Amino acid sequence: MLTLILLEFRKLFGARSARLAALICVLLPWIWPLAPRLKAVYNLVIVSGWQVPTLSLITITQFLLPLLVALTCAEMIGTEISQGTLAPLILRPINRSRIIVAKLITALIYPALLLAILFLASLVAGLRFGFGDFSGGTGLGPGLFVGVGQLSSSEAFGQVLRSFLLDALALMPIAALSLLYAVAFLNTAAAALATLATIQIMNMLVVFPEALQKILITTYLDLYSRQGDLTQPIILMVIYTVGFSLLAVFAFEKRDL
Amino acid sequence: MRPAIEVKGLQKKYKDQVVLEEVSLGVKPGEVYALTGPNGAGKTTLIRCMTGLAFPTGGEVTILGRDVHTDGPRARANLGAVVEAPAKFYPQFTGSQNLSMHAQLAAMAPGPAGSGGKVKRVSRDRVREVLALLELTRMAERPVGQYSLGQRQRLGVAAAILAEPKVLILDEPTSGLDPLGIGLIHRIVTGLATSGCAVILSTHHLREIATYAHTVGILTGGRMVDSVDLRARQAAYRFRVDDPLGAVQTLSALPFVKKASARTPYAIAHIGGEARVPDALAHLSAAGIRVFEASPDHFDLYEYYRERVEQY
Repeated sequence: MLTLILLEFRKLFGARSARLAALICVLLPWIWPLAPRLKAVYNLVIVSGWQVPTLSLITITQFLLPLLVALTCAEMIGTEISQGTLAPLILRPINRSRIIVAKLITALIYPALLLAILFLASLVAGLRFGFGDFSGGTGLGPGLFVGVGQLSSSEAFGQVLRSFLLDALALMPIAALSLLYAVAFLNTAAAALATLATIQIMNMLVVFPEALQKILITTYLDLYSRQGDLTQPIILMVIYTVGFSLLAVFAFEKRDL
Repeated sequence: MRPAIEVKGLQKKYKDQVVLEEVSLGVKPGEVYALTGPNGAGKTTLIRCMTGLAFPTGGEVTILGRDVHTDGPRARANLGAVVEAPAKFYPQFTGSQNLSMHAQLAAMAPGPAGSGGKVKRVSRDRVREVLALLELTRMAERPVGQYSLGQRQRLGVAAAILAEPKVLILDEPTSGLDPLGIGLIHRIVTGLATSGCAVILSTHHLREIATYAHTVGILTGGRMVDSVDLRARQAAYRFRVDDPLGAVQTLSALPFVKKASARTPYAIAHIGGEARVPDALAHLSAAGIRVFEASPDHFDLYEYYRERVEQY
């Protein structure tokens, strides 16, 4: 199994969309330390390096990151179909389920990888502001950027790390959904488009009763910024991820290729 | 002898369209089976069903007694295949890396019962050996994206034979190859068959295949309309003589000649093998018939195929 997962990661690192996504994650954090009108537009003055990851996360997570994740995960099947490399893989004496599970594991880890790159790049970009104790907030804890007084370096790190991990979790169902659509359509563009359309339609369902909203993936795309008890949304994200993954496995098992 | 690969009553439908209808065939170890037919006859679908890439609507495919669709990994442990022409590889990896990856995947096969789940690993030496065999050593460390169509096709055959399969399935193996490449594939296929591998290949090159295939299956409109045993049809020799009718009379009288006929300027005789040719020549000479040429009278598969396909 490890052989298959390593192979998937090798292919992932070679994928153009994954490289582009990584480049975006490296470059995006540099906007904030260099932005001259940050105060004029957002009424915000960066006082600590710990605020840079937050700004990067907020700006990337609502649209750009789901788009990048959907596209690359769709490509994990779509490119293999267009290149004709999936058939030789399936001709080897391996269960189809192992092949798709290896792809799923890679797809589910991918958002975390992008967020890790974003996090590291944000830390480098925030170096000039320092990472010591400061008066204010990270934007991810109580009082948001204003904060509730003095914030220690370790507390700030904890808040940022927690938010990045929650965001990686919130993006997992999108990765699994994209792979499911890729198995169904065997095409990168169709799968990515279907995933984005699903997200947009779910976003529109905001006008429907609250009970429905509570079970939508899109309601929890801001999971990283939520405080308090997150057990229910986390369980829901896990259920969605497992559900989409199982559907992808079953569909792949009986698919003509 | 039990077939190494057996297809029984295979059917495939896409919605209302019937692509394969009750197709059956069996290929024994050491046999080269050529699958031919017009474009759209269902050859590619049949190959995809035989290799487990597609699921049939009815019927079954077994490799060494194991069902390809219900016991896939164990069945495919004995299979080597190239299902597209040219063969497809990850273009960013080198030929050697692609083959090493295939070697690792081949090692993931479930072992035979009683082996404790162990299978024979494909060594680096074996990777180098097949690259050399397919004359790709010089290209081994270059990305496959830089390979020509012919080189990719040869790399495909290298990947297929890497794990020393008992059954080899090749779709258009000589497509895109130059004459030397075609000769190379012929030698490899013949060599594998001699060592006991059952080979199925789909092709349109009938005159080429007639020289080394044992059986030819003709697929038309999703049905296997004929299966030609070429071995039974290639025991004839032709003698270009000055008197074909006289030669037929002389040859017919010989005890080892099963059948003789005239096709001016030739006398055709089924003499049972090459070893009888000097005897036949001696008798013709003794009868005062001048012989200008003696050669195997190859069965004209192309003509036969044309007639069969036109009937359907």
